[in-house]
Amino acid sequence: MGLISGMVMGMVFGIALMAGWKYMMGHRSRKRVAKAVDIKLLSSLSKEDMKKICGENCPEWISFPVFEQVKWLNKQLSKLWPFVADAAEAVIKESVEPLLEEYRPPGITSLKFSKLSLGTVAPKIEGIRVQSLKEGQITMDIDLRWGGDPSIILAVEAALVASIPIQLKDLKVFTVVRAIFQLSDEIPCISAVVVALLAEPKPRIDYTLKAVGGSLTALPGVSDMIDDTVNTIVTDMLQWPHRIVVPIGGIPVDTSDLELKPVGKLAITITRANDLKNMELIGKSDPYVVLHIRPLFKVKTKVVENNLNPVWNQTFELIAEDKETQSVIFEVFDQDIGQDKRLGIAKLPLSELVAETSKEIELRLLPSLDMLKIKDKKDRGTLTIQVLYHEFNKEEQMAALEEEKRILEERKKLKEAGVIGSTMDALDGAASLVGSGVGMVGAGIGAGAGLVGSGLGAGVGIVGSGFGAVGSGLSKAGKFMGRTITGQSSASRKSGSATPVNTQENGGAKPL
Amino acid sequence: MGFVSTILGFCGFGVGISTGLTVGYYLFIYFQPTDVKDPVIRPLIQHDSKSLQGLLPEIPSWVKNPDYDRIDWLNKFLEIMWPYLDKAICKTAKNIATPIISEQIPKYKIDSVEFESLTLGSLPPTFQGMKVYITDEKELIMEPSLKWAGNPNVKIAAKAFGLKATVQVVDLQVFAQPRITLKPLVPSFPCFAKIFVSLMEKPHIDFGLKLAGADLMSIPGLYRFVQELIKDQVANMYLWPKTLEVEILDPTKALKKPVGILHVKVIRAQKLKKKDLLGASDPYVKLKLTETKAPSKKTMVKHKNLNPEWNEEFSMVVKDPETQALELLVYDWEQVGKHEKMGMNVVPLKELPHDEPKTMMLDLLKNMDPNDSQNDKMRGQIEVELTYKPFKEENMPKDVENSDEVQKAPEGTPPGGGVLVVTVHEAQDLEGKHHTNPYVRILFRGEDKKTKQIKKNRDPRWEEEFTFVLDEPPVKDKMHLEVLSTSSRIGLLHPKETLGYVDINLADVVSNRRINEKFHLIDSKNGRLQIELQWQTS
Repeated sequence: MGLISGMVMGMVFGIALMAGWKYMMGHRSRKRVAKAVDIKLLSSLSKEDMKKICGENCPEWISFPVFEQVKWLNKQLSKLWPFVADAAEAVIKESVEPLLEEYRPPGITSLKFSKLSLGTVAPKIEGIRVQSLKEGQITMDIDLRWGGDPSIILAVEAALVASIPIQLKDLKVFTVVRAIFQLSDEIPCISAVVVALLAEPKPRIDYTLKAVGGSLTALPGVSDMIDDTVNTIVTDMLQWPHRIVVPIGGIPVDTSDLELKPVGKLAITITRANDLKNMELIGKSDPYVVLHIRPLFKVKTKVVENNLNPVWNQTFELIAEDKETQSVIFEVFDQDIGQDKRLGIAKLPLSELVAETSKEIELRLLPSLDMLKIKDKKDRGTLTIQVLYHEFNKEEQMAALEEEKRILEERKKLKEAGVIGSTMDALDGAASLVGSGVGMVGAGIGAGAGLVGSGLGAGVGIVGSGFGAVGSGLSKAGKFMGRTITGQSSASRKSGSATPVNTQENGGAKPL
Repeated sequence: MGFVSTILGFCGFGVGISTGLTVGYYLFIYFQPTDVKDPVIRPLIQHDSKSLQGLLPEIPSWVKNPDYDRIDWLNKFLEIMWPYLDKAICKTAKNIATPIISEQIPKYKIDSVEFESLTLGSLPPTFQGMKVYITDEKELIMEPSLKWAGNPNVKIAAKAFGLKATVQVVDLQVFAQPRITLKPLVPSFPCFAKIFVSLMEKPHIDFGLKLAGADLMSIPGLYRFVQELIKDQVANMYLWPKTLEVEILDPTKALKKPVGILHVKVIRAQKLKKKDLLGASDPYVKLKLTETKAPSKKTMVKHKNLNPEWNEEFSMVVKDPETQALELLVYDWEQVGKHEKMGMNVVPLKELPHDEPKTMMLDLLKNMDPNDSQNDKMRGQIEVELTYKPFKEENMPKDVENSDEVQKAPEGTPPGGGVLVVTVHEAQDLEGKHHTNPYVRILFRGEDKKTKQIKKNRDPRWEEEFTFVLDEPPVKDKMHLEVLSTSSRIGLLHPKETLGYVDINLADVVSNRRINEKFHLIDSKNGRLQIELQWQTS
């Protein structure tokens, strides 16, 4: 009797114990999971979440900008800056000086930094935004502002002219840097980084060039060349969708997917323009249209003389690299003796186009693309075009890539033969310098150094281009009588100067 | 009879409980799924006030405290990267563990040990805020608040004697508040030499440990005990002031400390070329070590002499004998105008023997380009005697960890006395009425020392060091530091101007051995001056 009742009791007890344990297990597991969920939820809060949690008592110091503020990073950066500046100066000097030597054009005996100081003001990171726009990629946008006080003096010693130190100071860089991290399954989990400057808002790079103890007039056209070079580097190499790809981590990866490739072809027929502005004193304007997607590949229509409602009916093909962000820029010029005047400008974002459908579009011409700068609201007429966007397949893409290479190659040859002006010199030279600058970004300086790299590129631009252009630049020398010239490579600052266009047939001193 | 019945009852209970436990185990635990499910996460908007209540204790620090910064962008970055990170880490862990396991198991007569599953789960670690501290020392301090409540699933199966046992770790949760200090800061990338990690509080650790499917951690009492044990273990190792130290750079190299002294004796030059139109040249020699910012040294000018004899001695501090070189430049002195270069040569320091004088006769060259045809011309020769004396090992500061601490006073300090080292670091928000070209003047016991002048800068950095040798501790003394500015133009209109001053009581320095502070300047609006004072005794 005792045995059986003992056994029953024991069994009940044992099962109850196990049931209790199971209950505890479930309970604890539920608690842990609930906590994990809570923490996950709180890891990225939005404004609505905040309201929900705090109700009326939401702390005042919290705001939710698109670009998240990083005060702590700025604090650390400003503390670290003297050391970063010292280290970067050494690195830049070491890596750029040999390059300067390499790209030293004939006629110049020595080219060195006589002073290189990045100044005392640290760059400021206004905000950071992280997105995942594509599977396997992290897109990080860094709003960078550097109103620095660097002082870079480049000592140029020419055979004919005495030594001319050129100083670059008061550099201001306001831009949004986009870094795309390509993820991989191997440590360090990032196989490549793509760096570019976002096109919108437009990067602003201002600087002051000064000839120390002399005048820049000694080298006619120099400042124009520098501006041109910086502008081209920024818009055609650094600015999104153009990008720089840096492989990371020593794993051999195929980065060709990340490189910029032609994605489509645009067949644009410039039909006609209506009600153009008359710029001439006698008779009417002689308009022609210049259009481009990348400033490196510009095409132009024929000139229709003495007509404010010209009809061209000319068709051009342009290559597009990124349908989402690129746009076609149309500029209408009036051919004139001396400088050609711009009658108007218009922009057509490619994202508005539908592939494989022909469309007629009427564009309103504006005095400038920069909305802040437009003063007169007067109508400048319209431009009518016919557009057909064709998306490339694989083979066409390869062919287009080859074609692009061939054109650049050809131009290089022309340049060597002296047909095209020397600005391309500067471009090539500067391009490799920018490359080195970006290498440093990889090393962890951050974009600041990269920009310095490009700033230095501009310095080389002086030399690469300035001297070749002495002849053609002499006529412009009058413009540079002042000792200080402020360069600005932001929006369309070229509006006033000579027409920045040349077709292949009549290649002159200006870049395409 | 009753006695036997009781005995039997106990025996029955024994048998019953073991059957009961077994039945219960199979009934409730064995058939429980052991895999870890992804938790269902509802957006916050859908929560009701009750579930929000449960959320409140976990509200991140950046919401509660204004001195914490939000780093949700980093959380987002981690979240996107997490699946890749998870795979990479698990793969690496497996690769590391497999050879160790296969080496160890024969000792314990176990057939095999393998990972049945290894994943860190779908929930990434999150940072609930970042706090930074700004000090006057050369260091960066960060305090992220790290919370990882993950759903990892690590299941290890061991087979021995035909039996299989599994151990499974699930739902690992680690909450910690590490303090990350980067110091010392150095002027070469990545700009800091060491990383120190230390925990400010005991971390919170929670997990489920399933042995053959049953979670041991849910046995009441056991979890608490194990958690305390782990906490104490971790605390023993990393709880502040104990730190984990990771060296990134060799600080001695990165800081470029002096490693030796180069004695240069400029003896004579001969057959120098005539440069002046009237009479002979007026040569002098300029000496400079490459890669230093120290000013170059000059000999006397020997007027109208093409074979001058100087016999002057100089000593220079060497920081890196492998890459540095001595530059010798002979110039022609001029009363008016630019001094003309007569010739030069360079001696790399690695060619010099240690501690032995070496006399060298060097040809003067136009430049150091070996292909330049102009170098074939004779420009004369210069004779120098060079001695490189590296510091002896025992003189070197051995442990760099203590480099921040006060060093011993050099030899020759009077007993009872010591050396007062003043480092003028930087100033902020200086403001002159007419000009701001600041320099610092130090007045102490009648001695008057000055720093370099920095032109047109309201936040200058000097980083200059001055030493005073004293017979006794300066307990009753004060040090007067003033920031002055002089006009950069030669003009009597606005001559010297005081931008502010500060008097420092040295008694504090003697008792503390070292102070490093930003002093507010008197007679200045917002000006601050960072001064480091050290009292070194033998």
